[in-house]
Amino acid sequence: MLQRIADFWAAYASTLSYGMVNAFFALATYATLSAGILSFAAVTFGAAGGFLGAQLVLHSGLPMVAIFVLSGCAGLAMALVIAVVFLRLSSHWMALASLALVLITRVFVLNAPVLTGGVNGLSIPQRLPMGWLAVALGIVVIGFYTLHHSWYGIAARAVREDPSVAACMGIDARRIQFIAFGVSGIVGGLGGIMLALYLQFVSPDTFFIGVAFTMIAGTVLGGSHHWFGPVLGAAVFTALPTIMQAIVPDIQDIANGVALLLIMIFLPRGLIDPRAIRLRRVAR
Amino acid sequence: MKLLTLSEVTKSFGGVTAVGGLSFAVRQGLVTGLMGPNGAGKTTVINLITGLLHPDSGSIRLVESELGVAAPHVIAQLGLARTYQNVRLISGMTALEQVMAGSFLKRETSLIASFLHLPAARRRMRALEERARHLLSRVGMADRADVLAETLSYGEQRRIEIARALGAEPRLLLLDEPTAGMNAAESHAIGELIHRLRDEGLTVLMVEHNMKLVADFCEHVVVMNFGRLITEGTPAACIDDPDVQEAYFGKARDADRLGALR
Amino acid sequence: MDLFFSQLLNGCSLGALYALFGIGFGLVFATMGILNAAQGCYASWGAIVALYAAEELHLPFPLTVLAGIAGGAAIAIVVDQLGFQPLRNRGVGMLGALITSIAFWIIFDSLAGFATGQQSLSFPFGTFPAGMFTAGEVLLPIMQLLTIGGLIVVTVGMHGLSAHTRFGAAMRAVGWDPVAAALGGVNSHYVVIVTAGLSGAISGLAGVLGGITTSNVSFMLGQGLMLKGFAAVVVGGYTDVRGTAIAGLALGILEVFCGQYISTSLRDGFTYALLLAFLLLRPQGLFGAKSFVRA
Repeated sequence: MLQRIADFWAAYASTLSYGMVNAFFALATYATLSAGILSFAAVTFGAAGGFLGAQLVLHSGLPMVAIFVLSGCAGLAMALVIAVVFLRLSSHWMALASLALVLITRVFVLNAPVLTGGVNGLSIPQRLPMGWLAVALGIVVIGFYTLHHSWYGIAARAVREDPSVAACMGIDARRIQFIAFGVSGIVGGLGGIMLALYLQFVSPDTFFIGVAFTMIAGTVLGGSHHWFGPVLGAAVFTALPTIMQAIVPDIQDIANGVALLLIMIFLPRGLIDPRAIRLRRVAR
Repeated sequence: MKLLTLSEVTKSFGGVTAVGGLSFAVRQGLVTGLMGPNGAGKTTVINLITGLLHPDSGSIRLVESELGVAAPHVIAQLGLARTYQNVRLISGMTALEQVMAGSFLKRETSLIASFLHLPAARRRMRALEERARHLLSRVGMADRADVLAETLSYGEQRRIEIARALGAEPRLLLLDEPTAGMNAAESHAIGELIHRLRDEGLTVLMVEHNMKLVADFCEHVVVMNFGRLITEGTPAACIDDPDVQEAYFGKARDADRLGALR
Repeated sequence: MDLFFSQLLNGCSLGALYALFGIGFGLVFATMGILNAAQGCYASWGAIVALYAAEELHLPFPLTVLAGIAGGAAIAIVVDQLGFQPLRNRGVGMLGALITSIAFWIIFDSLAGFATGQQSLSFPFGTFPAGMFTAGEVLLPIMQLLTIGGLIVVTVGMHGLSAHTRFGAAMRAVGWDPVAAALGGVNSHYVVIVTAGLSGAISGLAGVLGGITTSNVSFMLGQGLMLKGFAAVVVGGYTDVRGTAIAGLALGILEVFCGQYISTSLRDGFTYALLLAFLLLRPQGLFGAKSFVRA
């Protein structure tokens, strides 16, 4: 029996780790989404944190904790710059601009081999202990919990649902969204170093459309109105391909797409929807 | 004292002049009614005052400060709060949460303190929650505090919106048709609430169609039509004014002609 | 000088593909507010259907192009009605539509992979006009001329439709507010289906022409067009197809000349940097209108 558990763990621990790494990116996307901004920029924040972290692992002697913190800071710095530039645009332009940003990030990474290893990438001979990953994710989750119940959380919900009404209540939408980008930057930067350590490798393709797609799908799937949604969504979205690969290996891609489609048709607001929960409570 | 002064305010959208050369003042401590038939430009005036729109020309002054092109959240910080013609409550929030959101300007908590949930911050939020419940009971919605606001009836939602506006402890309250959809008793209750608020020092500018409400509870009335001022004065004087009657009910000549057609 | 002209034509032909694809993509974004990740599939499948018509059904060239266009339109309508319509009925916003479009992207790209045996196929010799047109000293490949011609026809047609017909006004009304449009007597559902079909048809055409000229009939075709077509829409402004057309042509020309005279690795970077610059400095594009937000 114990052997069965050990075997199961050996087979799926890596998937669990990958799910936790994805949760960082999903939460980074949620951070801006919860203030009304659809943005893929968390990919770029991840690139900042991932490449800086990788270089620190390879060349500095710093302890892991310090590297995590610095990766988060790199993401934060990138986010603040992006925020200043992007927040001059209206929301649907920001979505397009963030998509363009992801494309440009890859080109930049390709053409700055000193920083990023260029087309060959950087190999990182350092494992990611699952314990570290879980603790880091736990701290981030606690952070989101406290934000949700703070004045920032109240203001962000108002800004997301109705920016005009929020403004007439004295809420400076731009300031709230700036903070949202900051949070997204820290969490994205952390996600970047986590992903780099998980893959033990970073390259121009690491922080590209694949990550963008997984993180947005995970956030929407899990539910974009509560911080637990992205965590759950990332878990489901990571587990889904593994399950499909086990059940229907030949058509696993199509099966993934169909599963995603079915979830969107039946649960368009995602798995975790506080409003639906409240509506059901009223109905009773 | 003139709390809010509009001078020659003009706003056009394409070829349509929604507000043209409008000038009037709202005196502190009074309940002023803003009347006019549908399409007269009343909601546009409210949007201009609160900063959601900016005038093409003219000035809007709060006491002596020019509101000009200030952003809505800055204007709110100066002490203005409003309700909306079509109720705009925040989706997904309970009645209590709506009022808490409205109390944002009273939070007296820094971002760091709020994020770290320091004891002082927690105390302040609890105090504001108490205050929010109190505001809800003032509008008769105490027992609905934890209900999803969007599931409540239209009249109940309007009252919650008023409580939300009061959350910011404004000095000027702008109400856009607060009693639309209410019966006589409910409207009267709102009127009495407005008078109680006025007695506590609040200045109110109220857009209303309900003539009885205006007659009973407004001390000064401004009447608009086609974006322009028709007349202003006491409610009785305005309601009897032939220009006002024509704006609302049409020309007496036309009424006769229609009668002849039947 | 000959090299310059032939490169110019290459650039225009490539740019015409980007522009055509962008027009289709921009149509969905402008009228329905949806960032459609599945748009590339309309192009890929347009090419695949056209190839099938040419190879298996032995249809003449004009009919294979028509088949490709019809294929793109059909898939677009399926995606819209199966994926986006339920979301519209439930008032779910752009976010849900984006994810749904990603789901369809995965599905149709996988199916395309199966259809082409995970390979990049070419149109057999004889199924398309492979000749040259002589203009004095210069030899111009007919396919490239047809591609550019296709762009001109589509641009003129779509602009005329949008700006000068009642259907065009209906499209714009539905895009702004479907309920208000319905109250004004517009059959919103019908307009939406036709708009989706047009979007798929135009991107499908880009796919057919692209599949022939680049010998790359596969799911990769659509993906390649997606990024550049998207850039054309942003730089050109999505409210006016003429802007997209000009931007697409410019992008194609810039890309070819950049690759020729500067460097191939920086070529894409140049395009995306231009894209970002426009988004930041002039988000409405070269020819777009600044939209306003009502209180």
